[in-house]
Amino acid sequence: MQIILSNILAIYRRELQSYFASPFAYAIAAIFWLLSGFFFVIILLGPDGLLVQIAQRDQAGITEPPIDVPYQFLSIFLNLLGSLALFLLPMLSMGLYSEERKRGTLELLATSPVTNWAVAVGKLLGVLTFFITIVLPIMGFEAIAFSASNPPASFNVLLLGHLGLILMAAAVLSLGMFISSLTDSTILAAILTFALTMLLWITDLIANGVGGSLGEAIGHLSLIKHYSDLSRGVFNSSSLVLFASYTFLGLFLTAQSVEAFRFQRS
Amino acid sequence: MIEVEHLSKTYGATPAIADITFSVEKGEILGFLGPNGAGKTTTMRILTGYLPATSGTARVAGFDVHENSLAVRQRIGYLPETPPLYTEMTVEGFLYFVARIKGVAVGDRANRVQTALTRCNLLEKRHTLIRKLSKGFRQRVGLAQAIVHDPPVIILDEPTVGLDPRQIIDVRNLIKSLAGDHTIILSTHILPEVSMTCSRVAIINKGRVVATNTPDRLIEELTGGNGYELEVEGDFAAVKEPLSNLAGVKSVEAILSETGKPNVADHLPENHFKIRLVSQPGADDGRAIASTIVGAGLGLFEMRRTTVSLEDVFLELTMEDVAVSAASGGDADADPDADADVPDQPNEMQISEPASGGEAA
Repeated sequence: MQIILSNILAIYRRELQSYFASPFAYAIAAIFWLLSGFFFVIILLGPDGLLVQIAQRDQAGITEPPIDVPYQFLSIFLNLLGSLALFLLPMLSMGLYSEERKRGTLELLATSPVTNWAVAVGKLLGVLTFFITIVLPIMGFEAIAFSASNPPASFNVLLLGHLGLILMAAAVLSLGMFISSLTDSTILAAILTFALTMLLWITDLIANGVGGSLGEAIGHLSLIKHYSDLSRGVFNSSSLVLFASYTFLGLFLTAQSVEAFRFQRS
Repeated sequence: MIEVEHLSKTYGATPAIADITFSVEKGEILGFLGPNGAGKTTTMRILTGYLPATSGTARVAGFDVHENSLAVRQRIGYLPETPPLYTEMTVEGFLYFVARIKGVAVGDRANRVQTALTRCNLLEKRHTLIRKLSKGFRQRVGLAQAIVHDPPVIILDEPTVGLDPRQIIDVRNLIKSLAGDHTIILSTHILPEVSMTCSRVAIINKGRVVATNTPDRLIEELTGGNGYELEVEGDFAAVKEPLSNLAGVKSVEAILSETGKPNVADHLPENHFKIRLVSQPGADDGRAIASTIVGAGLGLFEMRRTTVSLEDVFLELTMEDVAVSAASGGDADADPDADADVPDQPNEMQISEPASGGEAA
């Protein structure tokens, strides 16, 4: 057990190190920060922003029902972050295995006393940590805005919203890692992952179109439904189970596909 | 240390290796010799647990490579054809990472990495990013990666490919210095490398082991060994018999062109010709040969020792198809340069390896 943990840690550290040594990762982070900062300002302070809307409402003399501005803002902003992450995550996960395959380092891992599972878990933790470090500065914006807000932001909503973002990222990254393990081509991995997350994202719409109990069943698979629940501060254990299941599925498929890769390779 | 029995691997319908059996004793260096595509890499990949075999068994240090894959992987260091390197890491950082995943204890890591760096002459490059290293240095990092956890078995797939001559010598010396407490398998298609570094050779062709032995004995058994090349003035018939009758001489022939005249390319004076003479294994009858020729009243103008190289053996074993098809095509090989002593039936020279593999010198 200890050996497995130390293997996971070794893979994790190497993975993280390679993100922080890669100009590509910084470029992605920079674009993400730029866009999210831009939307942050627009949503809060823009000409049609939340604050302007509230001011107009106050001027019109409407005071009922009272509006919880931090809550409103957070749910809009988190949804937006979720959509941005949809573009970001495939780019983070695309190289996880395809790069190893291309460089031949998978042969090193496969001939080392490390199980496929340990490699997959270490990699997922590494890329997830990198994602969290990308999200952290954005939480800084929020902290500054909410420190001045009245009524104060609900801690629960904040916590659940960001937890939801991270859990969703784990699910997408895990599936992306599996796709990355299927191909030597980094770009192809990114495109396929993007298509898959897109599909999971719009499952909601598909479910509504199908309707009936089948539609309801499909609807439960939707990432967006569970994510928006969490981002509105609605805690539902089924959301946790769903994200955890996607993550586990991704890990499982990755471990299997690496094993299969060794068996079929010629 | 390594026992391979009846190992086969097929990709789809194409057999990559067929019924390979050999064994390597502790401390030996076994050279895998064979043309490209002969199955060297496949065999090595099976030994490292990277590929599963279709049938047969392979054991490393007593562990089956398939059943006990993790135990085997702990005990081998493997350098694939292209060194597996994380180019964004520094040499030292990479070796630390490998030491970690190979299960080197925390307290030993610094020591092991240091040793690997020193052995592979990488100390000056320890803080350099691998991306910035030349091909030769990368190859050395690959080697360091294979030995950093001090494994009892080291498997090297073409370790000297792409190196300059100076580096090749360094790598060969490194490999030799590792023998003794390590068991090493290395593959190559550079022949002198095998005779220089390996204590035993396995020649593989088309997925089969065609011969295994020490390099010297392989040469001796397959080609009859060394001999002399002589430039003589006079009549060949006068010395042919006496020379053939010498105890240490296996065969004598004149080197003639196809027209029966001495080769023009040799630029021999009038009435001169050349003789090729093959000695019996272990015999060295130079004195008797010279006195026989002089005693027969012929002039001896040149006497040069010729040594048969592993190259000749290798070509003989791996080119048999070419030779057979040329012969059956009616193109009877009239080349007088052909070595008269080489056995013409390839099957005769298969030296089957006993399961114990104990015949290593």
